[in-house]
Amino acid sequence: MADQIPLSMTVNGQTRRGLGEPRLTLADFLREQAHCTGVHLGCEHGVCGSCTVLMDGEAVRSCLLFAVQADGADITTVEGLAPDDETLHPVQEAFRDCHGLQCGFCTPGFVVSVVAFLEANPDPSDDEIRHGISGNLCRCTGYQGIVAATRQAAAVMKGNES
Amino acid sequence: MVGLLAEHGDDAKPLAGGQSLVPLLAMRLTRFEHIVDLNRVDELFGVSPDNGGVRIGAMTRQATVETDTTVAERVPLLHLATPHIGHFQIRNRGTIGGSIAHADPASEYPAVMLAVDGVAEIASATGNREVPAAQFFESTFMTAVAPDELLVALRFSAWDQPAGFAFDEIARRSGDFALAGAAVGIGIDAEGRINRAAVGMLGVGPIPLRASSVEAALMGLDVSDADPAEIGRLAADDMDPIGDVHASVEYRRQAGSTLVGRVLANALAQVTTEAGNG
Amino acid sequence: MTQGAAAARYVGQSVKRLEDPRLVTGHGRYVDDIVLPGMLHAAFGRSDLARATITRLDTTEAEALDGVHAVYTGADLNSYNDSLRASLHSPESPAPPANMLAEGDVRFVGDPYVMVVAENRYIAEDALDLVEVEFEPLEAVVDYETAADSEHHVHPELGGNLAHDLPVPNPATEEAFENAAHTITETWHQHRQTNVPMETRGIVASWQPHAGVMEVWASTQSPHELQLVGARVLGIGEHKMVVHFGDVGGGFGQKMFLGREDMAVLVVAKLLGSPVKWIEDRRENLLASNHARIEQMTVKMAVGEDGSFLAADLDQLEDDGAYPLGGPATPGAMATMLYPGPYRMGPVSWRARTVYTNTCGRGAYRGPWQMESVAREQMIDRVARDIGMDPLELRRRNVLKPEDLPYQVSTGLFFETTISPEQTLEQAAEMIGYDEFRAEQAAAREQGRYLGLGMALYIEPTSMGMGPLGTESAMLRVEVDGHVNVFMGTGSHGQSLETTIAQLVADELGVRPEDVTLHQGHGSGYGFGTGGSRSAVIAGSAARAAASGVRDKVVAIAAHLMEASADDLEVADGVISVKGTPAASMTMAQVAATAYQNSDALPPGTEAGLEHTARYKAPPSTHSNACHICTCELDPGTGKVTLLRYVVSEDCGVLINPMVVDGQIAGGVVQGIGGVLYEHAVYDESGNPLASTFLDYLVPTAADVPELETGHVVVPSDTPGGHKGTGEGGAIGAPPAVFNAVADALAPFGVYPNRQPLDPNTVLSLIASSSSS
Repeated sequence: MADQIPLSMTVNGQTRRGLGEPRLTLADFLREQAHCTGVHLGCEHGVCGSCTVLMDGEAVRSCLLFAVQADGADITTVEGLAPDDETLHPVQEAFRDCHGLQCGFCTPGFVVSVVAFLEANPDPSDDEIRHGISGNLCRCTGYQGIVAATRQAAAVMKGNES
Repeated sequence: MVGLLAEHGDDAKPLAGGQSLVPLLAMRLTRFEHIVDLNRVDELFGVSPDNGGVRIGAMTRQATVETDTTVAERVPLLHLATPHIGHFQIRNRGTIGGSIAHADPASEYPAVMLAVDGVAEIASATGNREVPAAQFFESTFMTAVAPDELLVALRFSAWDQPAGFAFDEIARRSGDFALAGAAVGIGIDAEGRINRAAVGMLGVGPIPLRASSVEAALMGLDVSDADPAEIGRLAADDMDPIGDVHASVEYRRQAGSTLVGRVLANALAQVTTEAGNG
Repeated sequence: MTQGAAAARYVGQSVKRLEDPRLVTGHGRYVDDIVLPGMLHAAFGRSDLARATITRLDTTEAEALDGVHAVYTGADLNSYNDSLRASLHSPESPAPPANMLAEGDVRFVGDPYVMVVAENRYIAEDALDLVEVEFEPLEAVVDYETAADSEHHVHPELGGNLAHDLPVPNPATEEAFENAAHTITETWHQHRQTNVPMETRGIVASWQPHAGVMEVWASTQSPHELQLVGARVLGIGEHKMVVHFGDVGGGFGQKMFLGREDMAVLVVAKLLGSPVKWIEDRRENLLASNHARIEQMTVKMAVGEDGSFLAADLDQLEDDGAYPLGGPATPGAMATMLYPGPYRMGPVSWRARTVYTNTCGRGAYRGPWQMESVAREQMIDRVARDIGMDPLELRRRNVLKPEDLPYQVSTGLFFETTISPEQTLEQAAEMIGYDEFRAEQAAAREQGRYLGLGMALYIEPTSMGMGPLGTESAMLRVEVDGHVNVFMGTGSHGQSLETTIAQLVADELGVRPEDVTLHQGHGSGYGFGTGGSRSAVIAGSAARAAASGVRDKVVAIAAHLMEASADDLEVADGVISVKGTPAASMTMAQVAATAYQNSDALPPGTEAGLEHTARYKAPPSTHSNACHICTCELDPGTGKVTLLRYVVSEDCGVLINPMVVDGQIAGGVVQGIGGVLYEHAVYDESGNPLASTFLDYLVPTAADVPELETGHVVVPSDTPGGHKGTGEGGAIGAPPAVFNAVADALAPFGVYPNRQPLDPNTVLSLIASSSSS
């Protein structure tokens, strides 16, 4: 076994320290040491998108990063989006309103991806939405509710800004 | 960095964006004693103007290439090809150097580099060297970069003539590796005759390929005379496809040459516009 | 039946899901989120060969690795084999030999032969690399079409590869064929697909020595199957088997039964006395959980001059793989019985066979018998083409109309009066704009563009009431503060039962949905769980009955306390009031507090407490029906098919939550689209799987599927709420609808497909075959 390396990163605004082998993935660090179990592992080879988190503001697959690569980084997981325990992020609210989830397993990755997608493209067409979220797999919804939720979130977030 | 690679040779592997290497490690399909992470080597990042063209550090993220205005102006094919690479989350980590050094014959950047005669800057403990695209891709997943060397940057020159560019590919789903793809650049002289034709192909051989029959057929034609569908068919002879679970040899050859014709048509349409504007 | 019954207040509304706040914020609790003190992690070593003898297996080095607690082989675990059968599988039925780990030989790629338990998953997998194993390869049985005749036997113990052969001849068909104007024959092939829940399988098992209790958390659709079979495997009573049910990330049939790995984890947790977790990885899930849809049906149809369906002869063959999940199933027999579907069909004869092969075992996948709709609806379009009739017209001439109902099907099924196939056919045709599309299609063909339209009409047997599937129970308790806990044997894994059951209870009891919490797993009464489109009708009816029982008591108590007549009371949103005099009221909490804490104040003879348990027994089947129509454009240069529009008209009776119904349909439809156009769990000739990652097993993305348009026809069923099941239908109707659309787009080329998947490669070679012939 390789040596354990000290790790430190900001996760949802709090400093999280831990220890891990070089091969420890960021996803496993976040789940097991930062206790962000909303980071879901659906494939561990970078296709399904369930493990998507924001690293220094950009959406990335946390299963394709080693924890040591995120040392010092600012990570936001799905747990870090809602402003408080009673209020949902507009994207989370939209997923609920539009039935953008059924089993909920892919949902954290979708929510984080949609937050990042709308940041880059605040007023997307339906076609842009479908391509924008095509890096995340859902097996329950047929994407119908997820597309609708993205549409709603875009409208709400634009309204909030103006 | 290159010191580490020189020290460990075959036992070490440079880690760029990790979007191809890490899945192989996770599935235990490959393993290395040492992984050399390039993600904190600042001098490997960034796009800079270079002699009228651009120099792109190997660790420059695909997302940066996608949105960089210098790249879009001077190497339009890189700009056009990038959205076809995986998905935006992948492009946030994936790098141009990683993609080119990995040399998947179905990936986008190698075919673009080949089409527009990009140049690889390669460093090692003993010095630096440059390798043009035509000599860079040796066989499937194998390039001119030796185990103790590191790809540090790519250089592309701009086209100094009215030109048109187009890129497209056939993929099973949005973001998948291409079954076949084409990167086409067409340049014309003052009389509107084609004097530069660059046609790179992906997914239709063990390495990225140039459709030299297509290029030869285009040279000297008046841009409005070219029949892209017919000329595109010639690409079938330039291919050396490998069949897999997604598409047979025959499919790649047939659909691939149809695609070359379509992408060529798009590029020709662009060049007409450019010339008209200029 | 219920005093003061309130009008439906929540049923029929798209109530926002009670599950969602935790799930959208990452606070769901799935099995991999369970962490116990001292918990160890299991990993399985699996065969890379389809069929081979194990000539050497040495685990010494693996056992010696730091952090490894134990390594098990088949020899260590296979003494438990007598107890492994699923509860739907009768001990008398033929079955492959049961084992948890392969012993002596391996029978498909992915067959587990060694199990490591270590401090973490990384070390467990390191140890698997240290297991020394040698195989003597044997020729594998891969092609199910020839498996029955192969001299090589998947299970040598059985002496052959034929698992089932059910011939059901019917002499009446012979006369029909002799007199028919047209006899048309075709063999329809489906191909190997798999369920792909986004959460793979997984289980955590924790043994409490001396207490003799096994505590389990699992990703399951059926907590009671786990409790019943797990207890049997462990040799303990069900009262010592505690199954916790948390969030479950999809299943689509895959998680109805215990896998061999699940049982091994239970046994090993007991042997070791430490909690053990196993989380399947995606490669394991794609190679070794279950596959489905590997089947073909040869259909011979007798058709009259006017297009009437006179008779059918069916020959169904399906691949069970090596170890079918849940035991060898016979959906083929069901597929043949259901073949007549929503049409007057005349006599039918059939034969259904199942064979073993050296491939991943077959398992239930959303509409396991849907080959009936695939074969029938594709056959109808084929007949229409052959006899030169429009496929919608052909269906109109044969579809069951309201005046035909009830209808006795020649295969033995019976359709009640509450089905509506003709209505859904007409609604879907109107939604798609059938005639307009045909005009657009003709115009497009003039321009060298290839559009196609496909439709599928079907009747779905939901909520089947036989055997262990027949009943569900609900234990409902109004707590002292007036909030409601309901305990049920369901296993909601995306179906929204926490919300829909709460809606039913809310209406029946007179509370708000958010005042009701559904508890599944430990503490609930036996039920088969969630699958087979059974939860709305069977579990829902149980919940309704339990709520009704409590409501009667609430009203009686309130009437006594308020000195009012029970008939004058109404209950809504947790308030019991005198009709027309809202000021005269009391709350559910006041009634409950009286029932538990001041029982002397109850009406004379009233039992203290406010709880009721009800069990509902379902009728043999509750039929829902639907019509799917989709349109597509085919690119003749690349063979790529793009779906343009997709409409579904369905009748699931009374909708509990329209948003949830539409979601179930959309999910099933996209799985069906995936099956026809993208997904293929393909093996090579030697039995090597070629789609072992998400790069090769192509689950559709949002960019690959169209917007779905849904229409509803509501004919209430005869069950208490008037509901019909709807969970599986989308995946039943979509494959033939999509297939027919592509076949229609290919019509100008003079070719007719009979196999899936219709991937670009296949489509282009079909076109090429037309130009070369």
